[in-house]
Amino acid sequence: MQSHRLHFQEELQRLEEQALGGLDLVVTTLDRTLEALQHRDIELAAIVIADDDRIDGRYLEVHQGILSLLALQAPVASDLRVVAALLHVIKHVERMGDQCVNIAKLLPISGTTPPVDQEILAQIEKMGALARSEVSQSKQAFLLRDVSLAEDLVRQDEEINRLNRECFHRAVDIGTDPDQREWAMTMTMVARALERIGDNAVDIGEQVAFVVSGLFREFSDASRP
Amino acid sequence: MPERVTEPERQSPAQRAVEQRNQAAVDEAAAAKPAKRPTDREVIFDVNDVQVHYGDKKAIRDVTFDLHRNEITALIGPSGCGKSTFIRCLNRMNDLIPSARVDGEVIYHGENLYAGDIDPVQVRKRIGMVFQKPNPFPKSIYDNIAFGPRVMGMKGDMDEIVEGALKRGALWDEVKDRLKTNAFGMSGGQQQRLCIARSLATSPDVLLMDEPCSALDPISTGRIEDLMMELKENYSIVIVTHNMQQAARVSDMTAFFTVELNNEGRDRTGAVVEYGATDQIFTNPGDKRTEDYVTGKFG
Repeated sequence: MQSHRLHFQEELQRLEEQALGGLDLVVTTLDRTLEALQHRDIELAAIVIADDDRIDGRYLEVHQGILSLLALQAPVASDLRVVAALLHVIKHVERMGDQCVNIAKLLPISGTTPPVDQEILAQIEKMGALARSEVSQSKQAFLLRDVSLAEDLVRQDEEINRLNRECFHRAVDIGTDPDQREWAMTMTMVARALERIGDNAVDIGEQVAFVVSGLFREFSDASRP
Repeated sequence: MPERVTEPERQSPAQRAVEQRNQAAVDEAAAAKPAKRPTDREVIFDVNDVQVHYGDKKAIRDVTFDLHRNEITALIGPSGCGKSTFIRCLNRMNDLIPSARVDGEVIYHGENLYAGDIDPVQVRKRIGMVFQKPNPFPKSIYDNIAFGPRVMGMKGDMDEIVEGALKRGALWDEVKDRLKTNAFGMSGGQQQRLCIARSLATSPDVLLMDEPCSALDPISTGRIEDLMMELKENYSIVIVTHNMQQAARVSDMTAFFTVELNNEGRDRTGAVVEYGATDQIFTNPGDKRTEDYVTGKFG
């Protein structure tokens, strides 16, 4: 079959590459954030905060590109679903970048030699690895239009959610030392930010199912326990 | 430079596996899709197995669907797919082509339009038609509108009939002070609205429009589309259009026709691929051929 509207198809492909490339930016930022967290590297945390402009810039680029494509090319059917989904994807990219910034901003508060708790640190490290894996997998699922891969994100996200709850309980039980309690409270906020990144990745997975099937459905119902 | 992502190989085994797995999600979505339109709409045309031959060539085959009252139904499809042939079946315009033969049933308000005792003139009085190119008569604006009612022997105040038709055609305010001037002095868009008003003058209940805006500029097109939205309150409208966005903008239901090539490409026969609510056709079509057409991948 002869293909028509080549310019439009190229433009749509470019937008998808830009938006999914945003997920690569998130992975890089998340790696730096986790490294800064692990080594309590405040300078690296400052780089994470400064570099968020790149992710915000990517958001604006894709957002503008989508507006132009809607105005000029009037996409329909599966093309329209991809465009609508990319708008969600890039919004989640921007939010995940902000969560990294939130974590980076908490580092100076916890200080260079905080009274750490190894159990909480181990939980956060696992959560970081899972969040990173989810972000990468959401990109792959979108790229391949693979609904099964997208649905598998829920499995990983349940593990992040479980670790988040554990982290919270551990912080509650951490003892009476005010400094350590303050540090633990900060870590619950870090855990919460990582947990939200996981949620954003699942939301991207839901967009994959929407692109493929034309029907939006939540993979897991957050309004029920 | 934007980040590059690797494009998956076309139809690699992995991709095929993904597509097979995705089918379950598509099936699930199709099963869960809510009904877009109420089911108690009044059927105005019940079209059953309509086939049209021009001589020994089959132009369209097996067209079967219902058209509903007070809705705009758009017929879309590539050139030569039989859209115009089909719309002409709805008011027996194909009778005027000697080689044309229509088989099947077109049930209009419970009566088969092609039954032996049906008068085609009465059919065309109830089912008006507007064509691609505005075709006013070389007469005054007034006489253009009054022509149909006079021929039909309609009783009543002709001035009122003309004013009513021009108002329904959204033309009255522009022409009320020059009703006796020649219709050829009007702009293309006004001429087309005059043709619409002319078809409304005989009090039809269906309006067939065969690419009514293809010769008009965007402003005139917008006016006709606004007019169609107003008219559907009182009439049922069927429109053939090549403008996909126009179909999406104005219609409630859309039928997608395609061309089937037979006899090594020598015979071209039109057939309906998909008929459904316009928002479904343009956001989530059920057939790959519809998807490819509305997204501009073929046609």
